[in-house]
Amino acid sequence: MRAPGGKDGLVAGDVLLAVDNVSLSFGGVKAITEVSFDIRKGEIRAIIGPNGAGKTSMLNVINGFYHPQQGRITYKGATRQKMRPYVAASQGISRTFQNVALFKGMSTLDNIMAGRTLKMQGSFFWQLFRHGPAMREEIEHRRKVEEIIDFLEIQAIRKTPVGKLPYGLQKRVELGRALAMEPDLLLLDEPMAGMNLEEKEDMSRFILDVNNQYGTTIALIEHDIGVVMDLSDRIVVLEYGRKIADGTPDQVKSDQKVIDAYLGVSH
Amino acid sequence: MAAAASTRDDTFPKLLGRNARDRGARPAIRHKDFGIWQTWTWAEVHGLCRAYAAALHELGLQPGETIAIVGTNRPRLYWSMMAAQMLGAIPVPVYSDSVAEEMAYVLAHADVKLAAVEDQEQVDKLLSISERIPNLRHILYDEERGLRDYDHTRLHHIERLLARGAETLRADPAAAAALDASIAAGKGADLGVILYTSGTTGRPKGVMLTYDNVLISARNGCAFDRLDETEETIAYLPLAWVGDHIFSYAQSLVAGFCVNCPESPDTVVEDRREIGTTYAFAPPRVYENLLTLTMVRMEDAAPLKRRMFHYFLDVAKRVGEPILNGESVSLTDRLLYGLGEALVYGPLKNRFGFSRIKVAYTAGEAIGPEIFRFFRSLGINLKQLYGQTEAAVYVTMQPDGEIRADTVGRPAPEVEVRIADNGEVMFRSPGVFQAYYKDPEATAKTKTADGWVHSGDAGFFDATGHLKIIDRAKDVGKMRDGSLFPPKYVENKLKFYSNIKEAVAFGDGQDSVSCFINIDLTAVGNWAERNGIVYASYQELAGHPQVYDMIARHVDEVNRSLAVEPMMGGAQIKRFLILHKELDADDGELTRTQKVRRGFIAERYAPLVTALYDGSPEADIRTEVTFEDGRKGVIAARVKIRDCATYPVAAPAPAMENAA
Repeated sequence: MRAPGGKDGLVAGDVLLAVDNVSLSFGGVKAITEVSFDIRKGEIRAIIGPNGAGKTSMLNVINGFYHPQQGRITYKGATRQKMRPYVAASQGISRTFQNVALFKGMSTLDNIMAGRTLKMQGSFFWQLFRHGPAMREEIEHRRKVEEIIDFLEIQAIRKTPVGKLPYGLQKRVELGRALAMEPDLLLLDEPMAGMNLEEKEDMSRFILDVNNQYGTTIALIEHDIGVVMDLSDRIVVLEYGRKIADGTPDQVKSDQKVIDAYLGVSH
Repeated sequence: MAAAASTRDDTFPKLLGRNARDRGARPAIRHKDFGIWQTWTWAEVHGLCRAYAAALHELGLQPGETIAIVGTNRPRLYWSMMAAQMLGAIPVPVYSDSVAEEMAYVLAHADVKLAAVEDQEQVDKLLSISERIPNLRHILYDEERGLRDYDHTRLHHIERLLARGAETLRADPAAAAALDASIAAGKGADLGVILYTSGTTGRPKGVMLTYDNVLISARNGCAFDRLDETEETIAYLPLAWVGDHIFSYAQSLVAGFCVNCPESPDTVVEDRREIGTTYAFAPPRVYENLLTLTMVRMEDAAPLKRRMFHYFLDVAKRVGEPILNGESVSLTDRLLYGLGEALVYGPLKNRFGFSRIKVAYTAGEAIGPEIFRFFRSLGINLKQLYGQTEAAVYVTMQPDGEIRADTVGRPAPEVEVRIADNGEVMFRSPGVFQAYYKDPEATAKTKTADGWVHSGDAGFFDATGHLKIIDRAKDVGKMRDGSLFPPKYVENKLKFYSNIKEAVAFGDGQDSVSCFINIDLTAVGNWAERNGIVYASYQELAGHPQVYDMIARHVDEVNRSLAVEPMMGGAQIKRFLILHKELDADDGELTRTQKVRRGFIAERYAPLVTALYDGSPEADIRTEVTFEDGRKGVIAARVKIRDCATYPVAAPAPAMENAA
């Protein structure tokens, strides 16, 4: 019962975001060189590659944090060269970070609520007095947040300050905050880094469920190749900032260039 | 009049109808969902269960067929039981955390046709064993997440069934009349439920209980403690356990009180606090955990608070119980206790969710006397009862004013108890089960022709007419010098220390007693943090010399206390070791109700047991472990062994000889 078309008028399988011939360098260091790929609506797309391959840079380009010197990015049919992260967020791109970036002193609930900021409409005046439309709106936001808490099974830590939580749970809260935006495109930067097997399995299940239940398009960076092969519909492989392979897990797995990049090759 | 009422409302569906009539607007059940307590009244529950029953009828559930109930405590699972009973079908609640293998056995043995389950995890589990249960026709689930893309030919969302059933009842008066007739046809002597015992030994056995069995027990229990429709309880113990079936299902229907389902298994403590339960039930483990958590938190509290806490706890220890029992206490002490109530006990009870508690029970295992007294001294009317699935719970219970830590009370109303020649406790009551499902051999072994049941526990009546349970009848051993060895008695003394989570004592047929100890990671981990002890894993912490020193001090205290008791003095601990891994139900070392399986453990850790008795200072062990996802791995360790001092045994007092 996945919605056939979202509010953007796209149907599952249409290109949601296309990266076209993008290059990015910091001074003389080339982080990304002439990379092109696309992300289709409703799929789970993985970006993999050895350390320093430019994966996180790629995510930063997509959500407008870095501006590529060359190339174009087309999102929901609109082409752009520069975009501010704020604009990316308001257009439905949300993300999590490699190093958890939460408000450590705030509770799980408040952290996820923070993810609703862009959805808040009420005027400052009403919010100040917590009355009228602002109150109704807050109740609506809280309902949405509670749905996410229920979805991610974190009821028991609803009111716990995030800084006190183990790492695996913090990652889950961060996913919750990203979901609170009701994103069209969810960028996950190493969602399973530093987790034990059980936490990884839980997180994998949540990622699949998000994709299944909300029809959210997901682009993720992950080091655990086993997890990537199981989760993703298509994989793009980067090495030294260049794309070396792109395709389904089976295609990528048997690609000689990928094998060389991961296992090393004698010269 | 009571008798007349009992013939009229002699099944659960009839009682639900009565409650909908007599107290339709009162709350029947609550569930915390999306952070808010959702409430259903008796009238609403009645309507929903009827709709559910109509839908189950359309799915082809016939009278006499069985339906499995798998999951945590949720309104829709309780309603699944009720809806099945409306049709004359029999619910079979199953332990939801049992591994696929165990579940396959129970479901196949009970020959279930339908299964009502909680969520995707349970659906997957049932699908994975579907070839072992060929008669299972439909699976009904409560939580939809992740199940959207599954093949729904044999899979149904309970919510949609409720809507469909309501529609049927509205559109088709004949269906409604047929349902009314089916409810009216039920009678007290019908089979109401099959509860599978957790299987301390061998395969689980299906205990068949009629409506009469469960209802008479539930009524007697309600009358004993004067429970009424204003009680609030929290349902968090396994549905498959007879305790939950009586306390959260039967008694709620009998007395008309409200049952509260927690948001998730991890939020029980918080949810209990929000509700403020008036009637509580928990195995000793839960009370132990509450006490451990409190003590650990107090260690981290500011010095002033800590001093105040310990001062008033001492006051409570001295005068709390006498005050609760209504004995005479000096005015100064009463004033001090009142001050303590305002400063310490009140807030503490609020934390526990016991601010409004009327009566709380502990059963299932012996509770440490210190833990028991701790709660009573705070003014919580904690009592013990002794019960079994085969008795529909109640065998003995403690009347108000006769509460002691070391007994389990007098025979419950309408229950006869006697002690067999071998010391085994036997009982007979209206709650006694009919038979084990499809197992006449086991039935004959447990239940005599004239209705007496072998409890399997050894015990005796003390001078005041209270029953004392020592241990499982078959577990009470003799040491080579002839002195008595009750392993559980020794283990419970050890488990009183918050640092010790589990203990397994050996000594039957040996010269001395020795034991395995499991440290409590919460308590010992906190202690390690405060003392600057660095550790990377459970295994490393368990083997740390300073941890050994601390545990050795606890063992020494246990030996001193054993030496004081003439009958038990021979059971002092000579040697002990700390296990490198936690005992776990997934590895078969504990039962699903968290009791140690001593025989299995002795076999599994045979090299360690040998080392305990051959004097070696350490031993190697390799064990296979099962991870939560079902994969297997191997843990290897070298475990150290400590020797302990023993003390001369006190001379037997004449009174004790009589008791023996």
